[in-house]
Order: sequence, then C-alpha cells, then structure tokens
Amino acid sequence: MLRHLLPLAVGLCVAASSLPAAQTQTRDQMVLSDRDNVLGGGKWIYNDLAKGLDEAQRAGKPLLVVLRCVP
Amino acid sequence: MEQFVRVRVVQGNALDLSLFQFDTDLTFAAFFLNADRTVYGRFGTRSEQKRADKEITMDGFREALTGALELHRDYPANKSALQGKQPLPVKFKTPEQYPGLSGKYTATLNLSTGKVASSCIHCHQVGEAQRKLFRADNQPIPDEVLHPWPVPDVVGLSFDPKTKAKLAGVAAGSAAEKAGFKAGDELISLEGQPLLSIADVQWVLHQAKVPATLKAAVRREGGPLDLTLQLDKFWRRNSEISWRPTTWDLRRMALGGLVLKELDATTRSQLGLPDTALALRVDYVGQYGEHAAGKKAGFKKEDILVNCDDMTQRMTESDLLRNLLQKRMAGSRVPVTVLRGSEKLTLELPIQ
Repeated sequence: MLRHLLPLAVGLCVAASSLPAAQTQTRDQMVLSDRDNVLGGGKWIYNDLAKGLDEAQRAGKPLLVVLRCVP
Repeated sequence: MEQFVRVRVVQGNALDLSLFQFDTDLTFAAFFLNADRTVYGRFGTRSEQKRADKEITMDGFREALTGALELHRDYPANKSALQGKQPLPVKFKTPEQYPGLSGKYTATLNLSTGKVASSCIHCHQVGEAQRKLFRADNQPIPDEVLHPWPVPDVVGLSFDPKTKAKLAGVAAGSAAEKAGFKAGDELISLEGQPLLSIADVQWVLHQAKVPATLKAAVRREGGPLDLTLQLDKFWRRNSEISWRPTTWDLRRMALGGLVLKELDATTRSQLGLPDTALALRVDYVGQYGEHAAGKKAGFKKEDILVNCDDMTQRMTESDLLRNLLQKRMAGSRVPVTVLRGSEKLTLELPIQ
C-alpha cells in the first residue's frame, strides 16, 4: 500500500515543503530519480495519458492524474 | 488508491490543454476522470508563495478521492450535473503550440543528463504565454487572465482543507456573509456542480462572470439549504497575485522588474503618509535583461512609490500591475514619484 502511495505522497510533501535531501540534487537528477521511483513502483503510469485512459476503460476504474512539476 | 488507474505527468510538453484546465501556477494538481475524459473533479489550491500546504492536506485529498469514486459509481446517470465541470474549448491544444513557446520545446522531455529541466515546459509558462498574446496584440490583459483561479477567500469563503468543501469561516462584511453562509456549512454543489475540493470551487469562480450570481446547495446541521452568492463587478480584483510565479513576468512588463511591497504601518506613519495614500516599497530590483529595465531607469531598493502614472490612492502591487497592464501598452513610459530618504524624485518607468 505504501508503495502505491509513494509518488503521491512525495508530490504532496514536496508541494508542501522543501525537502533537504532534494536540495542536494540537481533539477535534472530530481526528475530522473522521480521517474525511476514511479516506474520502479509499477503502480503508476508515467507521462502517458493515453495508456491511462485505455487502462481505465479496460478496468472500469476512474483515472487519477497527478500533474507534478518536479524540478 | 487501488480503485483508480493512476497516471503521473511531470511535464507541460504535449499536455492536453483541451482536457487539463487548472491553475497553472501550481506545482501540484490532480484530476479525477472517467475513461471517456469526463472530468469528475480537480484538486490542488495555493494562495501563498511560502505556505504551499495551507490548502493541501492528505485528509482533504482522501475526501476528494472518496467523492470521485462516488461520482464514478453514479456515472453516467449524473452526467448532466457534471457538465459545468468540463473543460472549455481552447485555441492551443498543447503548450508548445503557443507562439511564445513554439519552436523552443518539443513534445517530449530530453532525458539526457543536463538537458532534462531545460527541455521541460513548466506549467506556469502556459499562463505567461496566454498573457503575452494580449501584449503582442497591444490589448489590455483582462481581469480574468490577470486574476485566474480566485481562491474562495476572495468572496469571503474560507474552507477547511481537511474536507471536501466545509467552511471553516466566513469573512465579516463579505459577499459570502451577505449570502448567509456560516462556518460549519458544507457546500455540496456550486452552480449545480458537485464539489470534491477547494479547486472545484475555484473552477466555478474562474468561470464566473462579472457581476455574477452563483447558486449554492449547502448542508447545515444535517439539513439542505439553498443560498445565492452575489458578486459585484470588481469582485475578481480582490484576488491577490503577487505569490504567483507568472507575476514575475508581469513585473517585467509593467514594473521593469521591480518587486513592490506595501509599506508597513510604522514607516508609513513616520513618513506622514496617510492610510489612503499610495506607498509601495521597492523590495527587489531586477538585475538582468528586461527585468533590469527598472534598474536602468534609476530605481533603487527601498525607494517608496507615492505616485505612479498620476495614481496616488492606496493599492497593492497586484492592483498597480493590473492598472498598468490594462492602461499602458509596451513602449510607453510612466512617470513615477518616489521617496528616497529625504529626497523626492521623479523617474520614468519603462513599460515593456
């Protein structure tokens, strides 16, 4: 469950405050590590709305799309 | 969360603006959708530069998710109630189609190290591109573009961010108080649109005309209540924009890169400036490119603007930006009187 929530929780936390660990990374590194985290978790679709819509149609589920400015 | 298909989007590049219409000054926003692209609701609100968590909580997000699932269960029977939540037609379907962004960005990020951030269209660039369209056409930037996505506090509604849309307070003397809203009220719908979040309230306000009459369905002490919110011709102008990233570019256009703050009461009193008088202190002077136009014109940090383009009444930086951007086009020069220590100087502000 925690793994499912990770990208969202990171998004909310970073939106709400500055993370000291994130400050040590360059903007590029932050985007790339965010991408690795999301893809590695396997529970979120990364930057592919069409895939999300297809999956929602197939599964009969609603879609949650999080727009997050990482850098 | 498992009841949703989850998509994370980290770039403005190729973002479908015919679907994703939100406050582009945010760094975090969420949409709840049906697979047929029907919008159930939006989430994500901000009103200050430093306190990004003021209107965003995990509790509030959980409430919004639960509400979205309820709407999904009732869909499509509730389709007509959702009609007002749907995006409006757009001139440019993706950010990179805007004149200010075309040719500079592609539809995908360059994931090579050193190229990622510079290849990314940031959401706030969409707002900047919209405003530049008016500037390029020598047109005043209208209120609804200068003051987008008004927070509900503008009309006197203060929401508890841990809920979908429950009122934590109602400002005395506000339009909301005059309409009969009370702390503790739960807004169920506004203009017939079911509400999942403060962002959903903002969507209604964002689309509202001036003046406006907005119908609200409220639950008070367990019972239903209908209220009507009457908004005057200038209600939108109470929306503070100084925190917005896009205001940086407005400062370039109208203030030559100056950042202005209202003078504190003590200094105002010491200088003998009445409460009703213009008194905006230069808090920052831009240093580079067009943001240095104020510096080149002779403005300095701690100067106090007491007359700008013959305006001497008290106003905020947001008010001054709006006045200049609606009255003065690029290329004009605005006379400004500033106090600098014991001196009173007349300078010219270049409008860009």
